[in-house]
Amino acid sequence: MTPLIFFIASIGAIAGAVGVIALRNPFYGVLSLVGHLLCLAALFLLLHAEFLAAAQVIVYAGGVMVLYVFVVAYVGGSGESLGASHGWLRILTPVFVGVLLLELMVATLGSGLKAIGTEGADIQASFGSPAEIGELLLTRFLFPFEVASLLLLVAAIGAVGLARRRSGFTVGDAPLDAAARSVSPPKGSGTMAEAAGDRPVFGGKVGDQ
Amino acid sequence: MIAAIKAPLIDWSALAPFTSLTVGAVVVLIAGLVGSARLRSWLVPGLALVTLAVTAVELLSRWNHPKVIVSEALRVDNLTVTLGLLCVGAAAFAVILSLRSDTEEGVGRGEYHSLLLFTTIGMLILIAANDLVTIFVGLELLSIPLYVLCATELRREHSLEAGLKYLIVGSVGSATLLYGLALIYGATGSTSLPKIGVAISDTGALTDPLLLAGMALAIAGLSFKASAAPFHQWTPDVYEGAPTPVTTFMATATKAAALGILLRILVGPLLPAVDDWAPVIAVIATLSIVVGNFGALGQDSLKRMLAWSSVAQVGYLLAGLVVATSLGIGALVFYLVVYAVMTLAAFAVVIENERTSDDGERLSGFAGLGRRRPWLAGAMTVSMLSLAGLPPTGGFIGKLAIINADASGGWMWLAIVLVLGSLVSLGYYLRVIATMWMTEGSAEKTPVVKQAREIVAVALLAAAVTIAAGVLPSWPLERAQDVGQTVISSR
Repeated sequence: MTPLIFFIASIGAIAGAVGVIALRNPFYGVLSLVGHLLCLAALFLLLHAEFLAAAQVIVYAGGVMVLYVFVVAYVGGSGESLGASHGWLRILTPVFVGVLLLELMVATLGSGLKAIGTEGADIQASFGSPAEIGELLLTRFLFPFEVASLLLLVAAIGAVGLARRRSGFTVGDAPLDAAARSVSPPKGSGTMAEAAGDRPVFGGKVGDQ
Repeated sequence: MIAAIKAPLIDWSALAPFTSLTVGAVVVLIAGLVGSARLRSWLVPGLALVTLAVTAVELLSRWNHPKVIVSEALRVDNLTVTLGLLCVGAAAFAVILSLRSDTEEGVGRGEYHSLLLFTTIGMLILIAANDLVTIFVGLELLSIPLYVLCATELRREHSLEAGLKYLIVGSVGSATLLYGLALIYGATGSTSLPKIGVAISDTGALTDPLLLAGMALAIAGLSFKASAAPFHQWTPDVYEGAPTPVTTFMATATKAAALGILLRILVGPLLPAVDDWAPVIAVIATLSIVVGNFGALGQDSLKRMLAWSSVAQVGYLLAGLVVATSLGIGALVFYLVVYAVMTLAAFAVVIENERTSDDGERLSGFAGLGRRRPWLAGAMTVSMLSLAGLPPTGGFIGKLAIINADASGGWMWLAIVLVLGSLVSLGYYLRVIATMWMTEGSAEKTPVVKQAREIVAVALLAAAVTIAAGVLPSWPLERAQDVGQTVISSR
C-alpha cells in the first residue's frame, strides 16, 4: 500500500509543480500549486510526520493559497500570459535546468536507491508529534526559532515601509508625476469609485476623464 | 510522553553581541516614532551608532575566547569576531554616510536604520553559524532587510527595480542553498556542522553523490550572495539602483558574511572533501576574475564599475579560499578587510560627488575633481590604486598574500590568472584616476551644495587605513593568520 501511495503522491507533486510553470493562466497555476502542496502533505504522512502534513494542509494549502487566489483574482486574469521569454534565454534556460535535473537525479538515485528494500529508519511512536517538535524548538533549535521571530518583525517593517509610498516615481531628477500618475490601477481592482461607475485617473480628480 | 524539558544553557556574555544588536534595532525602530523631525534626524542615527559601538566592544572582548553557545547553534570564535567587526564597522559607516540622505522621504528614518541593524544581526548569525538551520535563518535575516533597503528610495524607479531584482535573484540563491543544505543533511544525518564533519570522516560519506550535489548547490547558493561569477548578473543593476550608502554596505559587509560562512562550511566539516570542492571554487574564482574585470572595462557609471570590480575582487578572495590552509585563510581574511576598507573609500567619494554635482555618479562627473577637491580625489586615487593592487597600499599586500598562499598550495595557475586579471583591471581603475587629475571639469558651475565633512572624513580615514595596511602589514597579517589558525584547529 505504502509504495502505491508514494508513487501516486509523488507523480501528483511533480505534475503539480510542472503545472505551476507550464500553465499560462495564473489562476490555473495557483490551483496547480494547491494540488502540488496537497501531494506533498501526503508524502509527509508517509514519512510519519503527521503534524507537518496537517500544518502543510492548513497553513499552505489553506491559508497561503487563499491569499494567492485573492491576489490573482484582483490583479491577474486580464488575459496576459506570463513568462514570455525571448532570445538566448529561451535556449539557455532549458539547458541549465536539464543539467541541474541530471545532477540531482544522479545524486538522489545514486544514494536513494540503496534504501529501497531495507526496513527504513527506526521510528518511535512519538516521532513527529507536536510535543516532540515543540521540544526541539525549545531546546536544540532554540536559537533559530527565536531568530525566526525577528524575521517576521523585519518582514512586517519592510512591508509597511514599502507600502508608505504616497505618489509617483521620479526618473532621473525630474519628478515624473504626470506620467507616473497616469498609470492607473488595473481594471477590476474593486475600488469604490469603480463600483460607482466613475473611476478617476489615478492621482487625478474624479471627473477628469 | 515526554519528560520535563531541560532548557539549553545560554552563555549570555558570549551571546551579548547578538542581543545588544537586537535590542538596539528595536529601540531605534521605536525612536523613529519621535514626533519632532529634527530630534529624529540625530537621535535615530545616534542610537544606531551607539548600538554598533557597544556590539563592537562586546565582539572584541570575545577575541581568543572561542565558545560554542546555545545548544551548538553558534560558534563565537576569532573568525566571528573579525568578520563580525567588519560587518558592524560597515554598518556604522553606512549610518554615517546616509546621515544626509533623505531617508525620511523613503521608508522612514527609524525603519531604515533598524533594518540596517537587523541585516547586521543576520550577518553576525551567518558568520557564527554552527548549524545548518542557523545558517539558513541567518542568511534570510541578512537578505530580507537588504531587499527592502535596496528599494528605500521609493520615488526612484531604479531603486524599486533594484529591490525587486535583488529579491527575485536572492530568493533563487536562498532556495539553491536550502536545497544544498537539505541534501547535505540527507547524506550525513545531522544539521550540526561538527557532527557533519564527523559523519563525513567516519562513514566515508565522501563518495556519496548526495553529499557532492549538496555541496555544489550550497556553494552555488552562497555564490549568489557573494556575487561570484556566474551568479553575478544581478550585481551591476542592484548596486547601481540601490541608494549608494546601502550599496556601500552590500559591497563590503554582505560579501564578508557570505565568504565567512563559505569558509566555515568548506574548511570546517567539508575539509576532507577538499579535493572535490577546491577545483569548483578555483573555476568560480577564475570566472569571477575574468568576467568582473572585462565587465568593468567599458562602464561609464562608477557604481556599475565598482559592482563589476567587486565581482573580480570576490574572485581574488576565492583564490585564497582554494588553498584550505591557515596561510590561505589568513590571506583571505586580510584581503577581505582591506577590500572592505578600500571599497568604503571609493563609495564614500562617489556619494559625496553624487551629492555635490549633477552627474556625480558618472565618470564624466569626476572630471577635474583633482582641481576642485584635491582631498576627495586623493582618497579616490588611493582606493583605486589599492583595488588595482599597486604598492604601497593594503590591496597590494593582500594580493601578494593570496598569491603566496596559492603558490605554496600548488595553485600556481590560479595565481597567474589573478595577476593577469589585475593587469586588466588597471585599464579601468587608472581611467578614473586620469579623469580626476588630467581632465578639465565642465566650466559651468553646478549649484553649490554644502560639502559634507563627515563623508569626506570617512573617505580620508578609509584611504589612510588602506595605506597603513600597505606600509605596516605585519600586525594585521599576523592577526589574520591567527584567525586562519583557529578555523583550521577548531574543526
